[in-house]
Amino acid sequence: MNQWWIAIIAIIVAPIIGGFLAGIDRKITARLQGRYGPPIVQPFYDFFKLLGKSRIATSRMQFVWIYGYLVFMITCVVFLVLKLDLLLLIFLLGFAGISFVLGGFSSKSPYSHFGANRELMQILSYEPVLLLMALGVYAQNGSFMISEIVKPGAAPLLPSLWPIFIAVLLVLTIKLRKSPFDLSTSHHGHQELVKGIMTEFSGPYYALITLTEWYEIVLVLGLVALFWANPLWVGIIIALAAFVLELIIDNIAARMTVGWMVKFTWAVGLVLCVLNIAYLYLIKGGA
Amino acid sequence: MDLNWMMAVAILLPLVAGILVFIIRQYHIRGLIVILTAIALIINSILLMLHGPDTYTPTSHYWGLAITILDYAMLLFYIYAGLSLKNWLVLIFALTQIIPLAYWEFGMGASKALEEIKPAFVFDHLSIVMVLVISIVGSLITIFALRYMYDHEHHKEIEKSRQSRFLFWLVMFLGAMNGLVMANNLLWLYFFWEVTTLCCFELIAHDLTKEAINNGARALWMNSIGGTTMILAMIYLFAKGGGTAEMLTLESIIKAGGNQAMLLLPVALMCFTGFIKAAQFPFQTWLLGAMVAPTPVSALLHSSTMVKAGVYLVLRLAPAFAGSYLGIMVAICGAFTFFAASVLAIAQTTGKRVLAYSTIANLGLIIACAGINSPLAIAAAILLIIFHAVSKCLMFLCAGTIEHLVWSREIEDMEGLAEKFPVTTFITAIGILSMFLPPFGMLLGKWLALESVFAVPLAAILFVIASAATMVFWAKWLGRLLQVLPRLGRKFESLSLSYSVPLWLLVLGIFVVGIGVAPVYQRFVSFAVNNVVAATEAFAAGWNIVVPSASVAAGGTGALIGSFPVWPLYIVFGVAIVLPLIFVTVKPGELRPVYLCGEQVGGVDTDEWITTADQKAKLQLGGFYWQGATGEGAVNPWFYTVSIALLVILFAVVVGVSL
Repeated sequence: MNQWWIAIIAIIVAPIIGGFLAGIDRKITARLQGRYGPPIVQPFYDFFKLLGKSRIATSRMQFVWIYGYLVFMITCVVFLVLKLDLLLLIFLLGFAGISFVLGGFSSKSPYSHFGANRELMQILSYEPVLLLMALGVYAQNGSFMISEIVKPGAAPLLPSLWPIFIAVLLVLTIKLRKSPFDLSTSHHGHQELVKGIMTEFSGPYYALITLTEWYEIVLVLGLVALFWANPLWVGIIIALAAFVLELIIDNIAARMTVGWMVKFTWAVGLVLCVLNIAYLYLIKGGA
Repeated sequence: MDLNWMMAVAILLPLVAGILVFIIRQYHIRGLIVILTAIALIINSILLMLHGPDTYTPTSHYWGLAITILDYAMLLFYIYAGLSLKNWLVLIFALTQIIPLAYWEFGMGASKALEEIKPAFVFDHLSIVMVLVISIVGSLITIFALRYMYDHEHHKEIEKSRQSRFLFWLVMFLGAMNGLVMANNLLWLYFFWEVTTLCCFELIAHDLTKEAINNGARALWMNSIGGTTMILAMIYLFAKGGGTAEMLTLESIIKAGGNQAMLLLPVALMCFTGFIKAAQFPFQTWLLGAMVAPTPVSALLHSSTMVKAGVYLVLRLAPAFAGSYLGIMVAICGAFTFFAASVLAIAQTTGKRVLAYSTIANLGLIIACAGINSPLAIAAAILLIIFHAVSKCLMFLCAGTIEHLVWSREIEDMEGLAEKFPVTTFITAIGILSMFLPPFGMLLGKWLALESVFAVPLAAILFVIASAATMVFWAKWLGRLLQVLPRLGRKFESLSLSYSVPLWLLVLGIFVVGIGVAPVYQRFVSFAVNNVVAATEAFAAGWNIVVPSASVAAGGTGALIGSFPVWPLYIVFGVAIVLPLIFVTVKPGELRPVYLCGEQVGGVDTDEWITTADQKAKLQLGGFYWQGATGEGAVNPWFYTVSIALLVILFAVVVGVSL
């Protein structure tokens, strides 16, 4: 029964944390741009206002896929807090991402299609890195279970997996849709494609996407925190520092092209992961 | 039921039924025969499963004689085909089979020894799994083919019906496959192997266009290379065994295990045979060429027969390369094909070619699992065979149905299919999702494979890239189907029963086998895994799949390596996709046109806009294929170089060890 309560609490608490992080994001970004910025709770105001708006649609399936996006993202968060299989969590995150892409493809809209195709390329960029992160964890712990990472007495992963950690930071930029990788959709009004994949979503369904993004922030920062899970507060500080770092990068970097993103994340991220895993394999020998 | 009868139904009934449908040219009677044969095969495979593992040797010596005669008849036919098509490759590789075979059997006097091999058939749990897949999935395809071929010929306005001939080869194929997965005598294995090659050639060339004949011939000569290496393997075993047939059974090769270095070369040769049949790089082109055939052929070749024979043989031989470098090389070759085919699939614009590359990729994955050769990897391989057969069969039947709805195989022509044919699109969407996303079986298999792959890190890296590429090409295709204009009131299309019954049964199969994967695993896959490697680990707990660490498996306490909660994830899928699909409704008043910077023409559901000089233009969207980066022209030279180099290394390693 205990597990149920943990899951329920996580489902309730995660978006609250995510919402506040989004608020902090907006505040810091505003300050970096020389503006005053909205209050920290502004994302919640926006969320409830969007929920109250009337629904408009360009197709029925786009709504269906948004539920898929939300529910699978929540499932990922539940997997994280219940300390289940990391590899499976990454595959479930894949379903969430693909649902969102299919939502974008579900109406005959050029902007939405552009965004969806770019989102697919983003998945192509980060998916191998995340899978290799799971393999790196296995190389270190001999298990894919998150419970093995956080169990008392387990050694922190960062000292042996720091190259993978750097690669995961790249993923964080893509997952949070920050410059230079805010390709499929962006919070910055000056980009050539602003809302991209989200163009055809509005009102309550846009609110659902916002909600999903909050879960996503918590999830990916949670994954970053896993690199120093004993004691966990160190990991959380590392994750928050990574988050602030992303905000700074977001504001000092310009958007790059999709092809550049794939090449860059593979050339840097994948190579770091591969070297890391090869090193661990040679040190520890075959499984 | 008597074992004699079960074997007869499994192997000979398809042949008899094939001859019957060939003679009887009446659409309904022919259909009835095919349906009854399908039902008999399905029931028989279940009876065989209940009967359990056994051995069988036909009492009469005439069977051995018949097989020898038919062997030469087939090879002579290949020579004839090579001469009449003026295809020298077919001719050369027919000669490289018939000459060594004749020399060996009569010159070296092997034929007497071969006829006395006992048992001729051994079927263990792995064979039973294969027979179930072949009989159930294959039979559904033959039913689908009834109506499909009728429509096919009507559309092409062919005067003289050749459906009987088509069904003859199609139905007979199932018998040959059943024989193949149960054969123990290597010469009999070779015989069934050649029958499947022959059926494949005839079916690919069925339409008799120039392209069809050329592609059929390519399949023939490539698989003839595989036949040649199998003969060489047999001769080697015979010669090293001191001129006795002692080592000429699968059983004895497996029992000798990886202990005997002298076995490594013939095992490598036979794995190579399996690679070709499983269309591994650099031999992928024969399977791509097979796409010209009518869709039931593709469905049969890709899901339950032909290519599965290739992976079956590698999997069967896995104990013989356990712990050797050959195993590692097999894993890397398979993983490379998984990677290369997944990348190439992104650039394909034709639905069936995407499916073909996806098949090649998944076969690579299965072969890689066989190469890794741990209990976990073998479990992954066998589960992948089952799930791949069901999902891929569904995908091909969907592709065939779509082809007969829009009369095109191009993905771009399937744009907006959700609007025109919602039922077909729904089934196709289930098929596509089941190929690459959790909680479906294919993903479960891939997950198991990844949990085991750390033993061969190079394969692991290829796996993860391939896995990411897989997501891109499937999502891209599904996206094209879903693109619709903002309007309501779709009408469900009605499909012929011959189409819809197999389709819905396969959808049901995906969910039943998917949700019940743990019981299915416990009931018979675990035994099949045990036939390949001695597995002490149980990978199922209740309804869930778990991977215990070695210490837990040995009875100690310790942590899990991984866990896959099956039914909770199906509930998540239900909540996430199925419930919204049922309950989300849209009212007409809520529809709005898409955002076109305010340049629309007319009402909500028009897709016209005002372009330069106030001209009206129709909005046109297309898919991305990135052919410059991942197309055949861009990457094939690299992929060929690497895959050929890998094969050279594989044989160099083996020859180095065995000399």
